Amino acid sequence: MPGLVLKGISKRFGGVTAVEPTDLTFAEGELTALLGPSGCGKTTLLRMIAGLEAPTLGAIFLGSVPITDRPAHKRKFGMVFQSFALFPHLSVRDNVAYSLTIAGTSRGEAATKADSLLDLVQLSGLGDRRIGALSGGQRQRVAIARALAQEPDVFLLDEPMSALDAKLREDMQVELRLLQQRLGITTIVVTHDQREAMTMADRIVVMSNGRVEQVGSPQDIYHRPENAFVADFIGKANFFDGVTEPGGVRVGDTLLTAEANFLEGSPVKVAIRPERAGINEGPGPNVVPATVTFVRDLGPMREYHLDTGLGPMVIEYAVGEKGEVLTKGETTEVRLPPEALHVFAVPRAAPAQKVAAE
Amino acid sequence: MSVADGIDVPLGDRPAAATRLNWSKLLPWGFAGLVFALCLVPFFLVLAISFGRKVEGAAWVWDFTFENYQRFFVGTLWPDEVTFLYIGQLGYSFWYAVIASCIAVLTALPFTLLLTRLRRSAQAAWLVFILSSLSLSEVFIVMGWDILLSNNSGLPALFKSTGLTQWLKDTGHFQTLRDWGLANPRNVKFKTSDFATILTMSYLVWPYAVILLYPALSRMDPSHSEAARTMGANNWQVLRTVILPSVRLPLFGTTLLLFVFLLGTYVAVTVFADPAKHTTAVAIYQNVRGANLNAPFGATMAVILLVSAGICLTLGHMLNRWAAAR
Amino acid sequence: MRALGHLYMALSALVLALPIVVVSGAALNGGRSMFFPPQDPTLSRFAEFFLTEPVWTNALQNSIIVAVGAASLAVLLAWPIAYMLWSSGSKLAQVIAGLGSLPFAVPPIVFGVGLGFYWGFLGGLGDLWAGVVSHAVLLMALPLVTISIGLQSIDRSHLDAAATMGATDAQAFRTVVLPQTLPYTLSGFFFVLVLSFNEFIVMFFVSASSYATVTLQIFNSLRNGYTPTMAVAAITFIVVSIAVFSAIARWGDLPRLMGADQSRN
Repeated sequence: MPGLVLKGISKRFGGVTAVEPTDLTFAEGELTALLGPSGCGKTTLLRMIAGLEAPTLGAIFLGSVPITDRPAHKRKFGMVFQSFALFPHLSVRDNVAYSLTIAGTSRGEAATKADSLLDLVQLSGLGDRRIGALSGGQRQRVAIARALAQEPDVFLLDEPMSALDAKLREDMQVELRLLQQRLGITTIVVTHDQREAMTMADRIVVMSNGRVEQVGSPQDIYHRPENAFVADFIGKANFFDGVTEPGGVRVGDTLLTAEANFLEGSPVKVAIRPERAGINEGPGPNVVPATVTFVRDLGPMREYHLDTGLGPMVIEYAVGEKGEVLTKGETTEVRLPPEALHVFAVPRAAPAQKVAAE
Repeated sequence: MSVADGIDVPLGDRPAAATRLNWSKLLPWGFAGLVFALCLVPFFLVLAISFGRKVEGAAWVWDFTFENYQRFFVGTLWPDEVTFLYIGQLGYSFWYAVIASCIAVLTALPFTLLLTRLRRSAQAAWLVFILSSLSLSEVFIVMGWDILLSNNSGLPALFKSTGLTQWLKDTGHFQTLRDWGLANPRNVKFKTSDFATILTMSYLVWPYAVILLYPALSRMDPSHSEAARTMGANNWQVLRTVILPSVRLPLFGTTLLLFVFLLGTYVAVTVFADPAKHTTAVAIYQNVRGANLNAPFGATMAVILLVSAGICLTLGHMLNRWAAAR
Repeated sequence: MRALGHLYMALSALVLALPIVVVSGAALNGGRSMFFPPQDPTLSRFAEFFLTEPVWTNALQNSIIVAVGAASLAVLLAWPIAYMLWSSGSKLAQVIAGLGSLPFAVPPIVFGVGLGFYWGFLGGLGDLWAGVVSHAVLLMALPLVTISIGLQSIDRSHLDAAATMGATDAQAFRTVVLPQTLPYTLSGFFFVLVLSFNEFIVMFFVSASSYATVTLQIFNSLRNGYTPTMAVAAITFIVVSIAVFSAIARWGDLPRLMGADQSRN
């Protein structure tokens, strides 16, 4: 099973750019998540990979074989759809066996194969059910089994968890990841949920406005965001507008010590994750006076909303971490460790044209 | 790098496929021809023959004369003599159709509204009943009402045997009925009368009214009415301020469609209407296949009926647009 | 208020049922005249209609041939049009669909007159097959609508799913589109069947008195007045209608076919 390579793939609908020219490589056996807000072009990208949408420009290679002009039904890519797209007029077994029946496999052989796939997704014995008689989780398992039936070269999933309730979603993410690792199949998952992406993926491709913003491991994406969009979209972050000066960034009246590789006097955004800032930790660099405006106690963590000299910000403390218990209205000091500060260029202005809805 | 440039894929997100192109280019045009030949040519024939001329005997020849149209509007002997007989018939066509379609829609509206509030299965059961009645042939419906309204059985007999006739006579209402032409000296009578004609025609299209109003009413969001209720509107105010404005368009459209449909009513008019008040549809029948045997003139009347229906639909459409734009 | 609503519905049902009940009762009359309530009740009119009276048995046979033929033909005509409309939505497809619905939208007497001339020229006037074609064209609008509703109810992602599983367009059509639209196709078929049974104006003009369907036979003998045997025909037709529409309601989604919103129950 060779990996998948996209070269300069782009898609325009009329005058609207859904996907800007994109180069991506999906390594063999890896699970890659296409992550981004709705309308960012990730589903269009997936549909181009599946062959359901013809790219406006660019080429797709499976290993070294160009498949750009190969129609969907000749690609042998299994796909799980957001709505699952199970055929209501067929039984569960016939749904799973569909690709085999189409390929001309004998009925008995197709049924045997379908049953073993149903075993794989833990739906043994449900082959004769009608689709309407299944729960949401069961439907998803059928959709997965069905997509795997043709032993696809690439396994594609479009928002596979969005039709499930929250609890089931978490379980299925783990289960799907384990299944994928067991089969060692090259897999691409489209999602707008960063938890889902971080749970399942070897590699995450963050997209916005039809562009790839960053490609990296979940840890990379979270701890080393390359731009303000990624820092904002993945996890939470406090942002302050500032201007670079020797030794740091000036935000309002305060000079923050930070590593900033910009020309002096450049407008920048400074970001810090809520859990990386501390309260009342004594003297040091980047200590700013603050007033507590709101306290949210979430059980496993406590969240302080602060009014600081830099602007409003949010700080998180996990249970067991040291840190004073404050109440609304108290004054304190907040410390922003220089190594926890990210300095980004001010984001490019959003392109004038609208991005196609997914 | 193989570049798939210039592939024009519509927004409709269909599989990128080239296999369908071969036959899909020719077939639509073949079909267009077939449908044209079957659906439109008969109308063109009617139009062409309406300019034809009757010859003695029972036949007609092609021609291009406006005599038939002249005869319809002012009579054969114009300008010496003018008759509005045929215009009058068209007038009766309109008169019956307008009243009957309005009655049908107004009585079907509350019924359909109630219907959409029922459980889905109950709705299906009602729809079976409504559709069965809808598909029932005009001849059967007229048969039923004929029995019900004829002078020696049905309602008049019921009136007499229950003493209702006597009561009407005692209270003096009987005279009113006689003035309206709904009674003879001995008992109430409904044949022939406008009442019976319009009643039967309303009955004829009533199921159509329900079926046509049903989609709009069943898609109406009940939370709108509920919201109005929480803001203090009573049932009548809810109907007037929320429901009626939101169904104005389908209500109007339904009335128009039923009106056009009723312009062609034949059996109900021949059975229940006074011969002096017969309609264009009856005259068409008599000329094309009935006693008169003047096919070109029948065709002329058919064209005029169709054109008037078209004008009404267009006027209605314009009125609607005008009202919507205001 | 609720009670008032129920009362209104009941009253509507009563008025709607009244002539039907009366006709059914009249079928039991022993004599040649229609009375209600029936006099000298007998079932011999049923035997006349179905078995012994050639006028009626022939007419019934013609009715069945015309209705089944027209329904089949109408579905065959409507399918490609509905499919074109759905798959391409082109202007041409819209025009064809509009033309196909035209005969049903105008007063039937006008289309009937036109068809009378039409078959007169083409030479089919008075032939049963011309009657079949005429009814198919007249009622084609019905399967056109039901099949279109059926096609619209197909989730496009089902077609994408079929493609990713290796199905060509033709295979996807056979395995996804056809089975999912079957109930709608059948509904269209039966709508035409029932309405063709009951239609007589168009049939009157195209039959040129050389054959008669049941409703046409009744129409033709209108001048001589109604007879109880005709009432038997009426009962037969009502029973057929109720059976057909019940079947549609049982196996199809009647409220949806009639245009109800799918999301509400």
